[in-house]
Amino acid sequence: MSHFLDRLTYFTHPKESFSDGHGVKTIEDRQWEDSYRNRWRHDKVVRSTHGVNCTGGCSWKIFVKNGLVSFEMQQTDYPRTRDDMPNHEPRGCQRGASFSWYLYSPHRIKHPMIRGRLLDLYRAEKKSGKDPVEAWAAIQADTAKRDKYVKVRGLGGFVRTSWDEVLEITAAANIHTIQKWGPDRIYGFSPIPAMSMISYAAGSRYLSLIGAACGSFYDWYCDLPIGSPQTWGEQTDVPESADWYNSTYIIIAGANLPMTRTPDAHFAIETRYKGTKIVSMSPDYAEFCKFADLWMPIRQGTDSAAFMAMAHVALKEFYIQKQDPYFQEYARKYTDLPMQVMLRPHDNGYVSDRNLRASDFSGNLNESNNPEWKTIGFDESSGQFVAPNGSIGFRWGEEGKWNLLERSAGTDTHLELTAQGKAGTEVVSVGFPHFAHGEPDLLFRNVPARRVKLADGSEALVASVFDLLVSQYGVDRGLGGPNVASSYDDASCAYTPAWAEKVTGVKRADIERTGREFADNASKTKGKSMVIMGAAINHWYHHDQSYRSIMNLLHLCGCVGQSGGGWAHYVGQEKLRPQAGWAPIAFGLDWHRPPRHQNSTSYWYFHTDQWRYETVKPDQLLSPAGKGRNKGYSLADYNVVSTRLGWLPSNPHFNKNPLELATDAAKAGATDEASVAQYVAGQLKSGALDMAFADPDNPINWPRNLIVWRGNLIGTSAKGHEYFLKHLLGAQNGVLQEGGVGNDCKEVNWIDEAPAGKLDLMVDINFRLNSTGAYADIILPTATWYEKHDLNTTDMHPFIHPLAEAVSPGWESKSDWQIFKALAKKFSSLAGKHLGVRKDVVSLPMQHDSPFELAQPFGEVKDWKRGDCDPIPGKTMPIIKVVERDYAQTYSKFIGLGPLMTKIGNNIKGIDWNTEQEYKELASLNRTVTEPGVSFGMPSLEEDIAVCDSVMRMAPETNGEVAHKSWTALSKKTGLDHHHLYEGRHEDKITFRDIQAQPRKIITAPTWSGIESEKVSYTAGYTNIHEHIPFRTLTGRAHFYQDHEWMLDFGEGFCCFRPPVDMQEHKKVPASVTSGPHLVLSWITPHSKWGIHSSYQDNLRMLNLFRGGPYFWISEEDAKSVGIADNDWVEAVNANGATVARAVVSQRVPRGMALMYHAQEKNVNVPGSPTTGKRGGILNSVTRVVVKPTHMIGGYAQLSYSFNYYGPVGSNRDEVVVVRKIADQDVDWLERPLTPAREAQRNPVGIGTK
Amino acid sequence: MDMHQIIFGVYPYIALVTFILGSWIRFDHEQYTWKSDSSQLLSKTYMRFASNVFHIGILGIFFGHLVGMLTPHSVFLAMGISDAAHQGIAIFAGGIFGLMVILGGVILWLRRLFNKRVRAASRWMDINILGWLILTACVGFSTIFWSVGHAEHKDFTVMIRLTEYVQSVVMLQANPELIRNIDPVYKLHMFFGLSVFLFFPFTRLVHIWSAPIGYLFRAYQIVRAKRV
Repeated sequence: MSHFLDRLTYFTHPKESFSDGHGVKTIEDRQWEDSYRNRWRHDKVVRSTHGVNCTGGCSWKIFVKNGLVSFEMQQTDYPRTRDDMPNHEPRGCQRGASFSWYLYSPHRIKHPMIRGRLLDLYRAEKKSGKDPVEAWAAIQADTAKRDKYVKVRGLGGFVRTSWDEVLEITAAANIHTIQKWGPDRIYGFSPIPAMSMISYAAGSRYLSLIGAACGSFYDWYCDLPIGSPQTWGEQTDVPESADWYNSTYIIIAGANLPMTRTPDAHFAIETRYKGTKIVSMSPDYAEFCKFADLWMPIRQGTDSAAFMAMAHVALKEFYIQKQDPYFQEYARKYTDLPMQVMLRPHDNGYVSDRNLRASDFSGNLNESNNPEWKTIGFDESSGQFVAPNGSIGFRWGEEGKWNLLERSAGTDTHLELTAQGKAGTEVVSVGFPHFAHGEPDLLFRNVPARRVKLADGSEALVASVFDLLVSQYGVDRGLGGPNVASSYDDASCAYTPAWAEKVTGVKRADIERTGREFADNASKTKGKSMVIMGAAINHWYHHDQSYRSIMNLLHLCGCVGQSGGGWAHYVGQEKLRPQAGWAPIAFGLDWHRPPRHQNSTSYWYFHTDQWRYETVKPDQLLSPAGKGRNKGYSLADYNVVSTRLGWLPSNPHFNKNPLELATDAAKAGATDEASVAQYVAGQLKSGALDMAFADPDNPINWPRNLIVWRGNLIGTSAKGHEYFLKHLLGAQNGVLQEGGVGNDCKEVNWIDEAPAGKLDLMVDINFRLNSTGAYADIILPTATWYEKHDLNTTDMHPFIHPLAEAVSPGWESKSDWQIFKALAKKFSSLAGKHLGVRKDVVSLPMQHDSPFELAQPFGEVKDWKRGDCDPIPGKTMPIIKVVERDYAQTYSKFIGLGPLMTKIGNNIKGIDWNTEQEYKELASLNRTVTEPGVSFGMPSLEEDIAVCDSVMRMAPETNGEVAHKSWTALSKKTGLDHHHLYEGRHEDKITFRDIQAQPRKIITAPTWSGIESEKVSYTAGYTNIHEHIPFRTLTGRAHFYQDHEWMLDFGEGFCCFRPPVDMQEHKKVPASVTSGPHLVLSWITPHSKWGIHSSYQDNLRMLNLFRGGPYFWISEEDAKSVGIADNDWVEAVNANGATVARAVVSQRVPRGMALMYHAQEKNVNVPGSPTTGKRGGILNSVTRVVVKPTHMIGGYAQLSYSFNYYGPVGSNRDEVVVVRKIADQDVDWLERPLTPAREAQRNPVGIGTK
Repeated sequence: MDMHQIIFGVYPYIALVTFILGSWIRFDHEQYTWKSDSSQLLSKTYMRFASNVFHIGILGIFFGHLVGMLTPHSVFLAMGISDAAHQGIAIFAGGIFGLMVILGGVILWLRRLFNKRVRAASRWMDINILGWLILTACVGFSTIFWSVGHAEHKDFTVMIRLTEYVQSVVMLQANPELIRNIDPVYKLHMFFGLSVFLFFPFTRLVHIWSAPIGYLFRAYQIVRAKRV
């Protein structure tokens, strides 16, 4: 092996020469070449993937050498798509390819850590003879002690300790909180399960078993396109990326495919090779624009105006000038366009009111079951009003008629779209709400209507949704009257291309041509026109209008449900494919039902006290056409009303510990669930009990414990980051204003001195030290994506594949499942003494996909507190359930699949089936629990792989037998035979070992609206159109019209253009900022090229690719106007706080916006802000969340709550900032020791505690 | 055995054995460290000038010493090179090359110390060995003043003794007595020079062994057969 001696054979080397001595052949040492070979040599390859919240769901080869991960590479073994289409592989991006760096990086959390001051306090208490729970209680009871560690959150000071000790402290804190405040004061937050569903399930199972609340993420991230539940009753369902290839006309709006959908972008490019036209819409010259045939540079936040104008063209040319037969049929069968709407007198005309119902007719049109929930159309063949099949009234309480066949009461029908020119009709003037600046707020237009005699003998005017819609779009159809377009160039009439040009800045000719081409293409191809949309248009306060404007265009053109057509929304939406098998394990439904869920936006809006700073007043948003019975209410007031009417959940539920509530109810003689519910209703009515959100700053209503895992709640996920710091955590913060403008609430109690530091304990479970860990009290080291077994699915492709333990978890880390299992064990060992067996009162909102979605008919708001009605649980107030918890058995329950799976069975989206067979199989596949306890002998959930297999065995997507059972259940409901959809895969059972070998295509399940087939790609709404399964909405059809009272109050019955809201935060900045040269820019936070989704921007490899720290982009002209040069330090400031970064000056960005890539963290190269005097902040330091009342509606068909399905979204794009340059010498890195003076100065100088 | 004998009788062998064995061990065991550690990628400022001057200078010095010291006295005489001429050449060529080493070396050394990027990539030994070479060259250059004095007096005995001493070391019969009474500046220079051999295997100087001289003579195309 000697390098030297081998060379001493010079004379014995045979040397052959060739080519006249120009070449020579030698046998010299070539060992050096092995160094290059060894670089890529490895001991094993393991299949795994990444998931910050990556939708990519790319399968990767992880290469392991000497027990360390050395590199990763894309897998290329996905099953094929179809013979005539490109395949999904290879998938993966440069971010994912850099993740192996992260395992061994300085950011890695290696050991359990705790705030040093807290540990000292705890150990001192224990030393004095207290047990863990008593010790924790003693610290909490002493304000001075509590302050000692609370006030230094975010300032370092962590020490290493043992797993045993941190788990003991966490368990003790949980037990103390349950005992003193109630289990609903413990909160868990973890985002998007689909990327690593078992890890998500670990925490949510523990929390659900102890009665804590799990927070939603999809709405909080503002990724939930709330137009989707409003229109389809579907959280989100989108085509797989391969379906882009089937399209022949694509508009892309606000989704940067090559950058943030890197592994899928090839389909968009490939489809252009077969002639598909791609139109891009984006204010900046984003990467995707260069792949398009047309770039429409649109003013940010005005997308709905452009799409409304396109639909104006489509309506005019394909519905009025001619009647496209395909569009007509589609509109009649699958949309609410033929449904009849009542008109309510207003001013000198009318406004649209609620949908007409069977119950409005005498004899209920012979519909005895749910006549209030059966909507009405006009049948052309019989000339009668009919209640066609498929409306939500047919979904519950009867079987066989919940379908989209053109039938009513057993007879074939042909619904009428327009009443124009028909006998017995008249033309009336109807007012349409309008919100464009400087234009009237109600536009009256002529609409054809019919008179109908109601059951009570009175007469009403009704018009079809179609007739109203044509008027809403300002299309002239010869009825005369004001506010209709004389031509496309009529800029005075809303929704013409010329008007849209004024609003959006896009050339009218481009809008007109695109609208025409889009519709024409759809007409010729039967719906193969597609809109791909993303976060850039979804993160606005009024994004529901942008989305509905797109959905309207798609439905008018018959695109939804057609392969190659429809919407394709890709914003953190992830598809948790085996959801039905996962949910029971994730939320402990195998032991207790129901679990506690919470919509996070409301939660953080109240608990971080952002409501105290609310500048947006709902009265400014109301339409004069509404009933406006809540005039004068604040946004927070609307939310309180929503929780007490059983629309949105609230955690804590009430201003009382739910365990005490159960005890008190029992004392008052309430023995069963119904009488407890009665007791609670009585207490609420008398005022002895109140909703927690009505008094969020009262210490009894504070959240007390917070566990965050798999996420960065306090950093990149915290809209209003600085408010989290100030009020929730009590940490140093940069809030530059005092709360006070929120002091006009009618339903929320105002406490003058705002709380600071509501949380007793925050635990962060992560493998990287980010802003969340920095502010936590305890940090637990978890396994990375290459160190644990888990499952991964996405909506971008139809395969399920695993995360796997390529190397054992580094240092002291464990997988999330093992962490929570250990915590459950510790909890159980302490809980017996302190908690024992307790009854817990759980308050539940009226859930979508359950019979409770029929709770409040006609969309009328009846508030029991105002005396409109009595509080009746499950009808006019939340459902009240009682759950018995044997706290000492928590661990035993955690590790065994519980008995409710056989007793009650499983369900998804309103379909039930039994799981006895799967339960038996799992007992033999995973063996049974051998530890003594309640779960002894039940299928084991002790090991991560067993959990993966349990999920897959119980889900229809991965077990053909379950698919069979669930489709059978749905077939019964619809009265149609759907069994052919999974035929051929009935016997398939996918296991963890299978997907380790190769990703597997899932089985068609009723959970989703698309199908897996050899003939079409997966696309959303396919079964609604082709199988006639109704959309899960009021009418059973896709909704153009929303008839709930609050929808009409806010003028959003029909989709309309709403300009961005004025947050006013930029008007309240210190004079020191505005006295010099500065810019006022809208604050845009799109996804980054260098670190989002599959890795993090603080990955050294990613930092090397750009500025190595925080930066935001501004335009050349803007920069020049205030003397900012590229790479200068700049500060963005508004009343919410400040953030410091380097300026990227680029011609790519238009004037008027600052563009800061999302997820830039506070941990690398972030100096202090001169304005706040605190560490420079993050993208969320200048944002504040603002909630929208129409998102709080509940108990009403598709507008009913479900976890991550409905609830206000955490919008953040309407914010405006002041930007100025910071001279290099003024950059302060704040590298000074913590002094008592600095510790005391928690708020910026001059800002008090309010 | 006195100090003089230890330094000029024993130390040369310690240095030479370390030089040869050390180089061998490093070549065999630490192939990946066998390199010149060039900093040219980090900064090119002054690099082209300083590095070339330094390297030309030091190669001249090296070969000058090699030929001048190790060629037997009789061979010089037989070639018709008188002692006076020998010393003249040594003073003249040594002076020029020595100055080049000092000039180039000092620029490189300052660059190594004060160029942030180069400094950050420098190890302790990188800074030291360059300093040591400059010192050696400075002392060597200062011997010229004595040598010029000798030459003016037509006294070549010091030069002859030095070459004889060096040859005695190479012949493994080190005779330190030959130079016991010469001017201390020569002894100092020799001590510095010997020490370079001692440090050699621990520094980037090992790249000297791998000077790609073979490239000057290689065939256009080389096929390296796989060893069986």
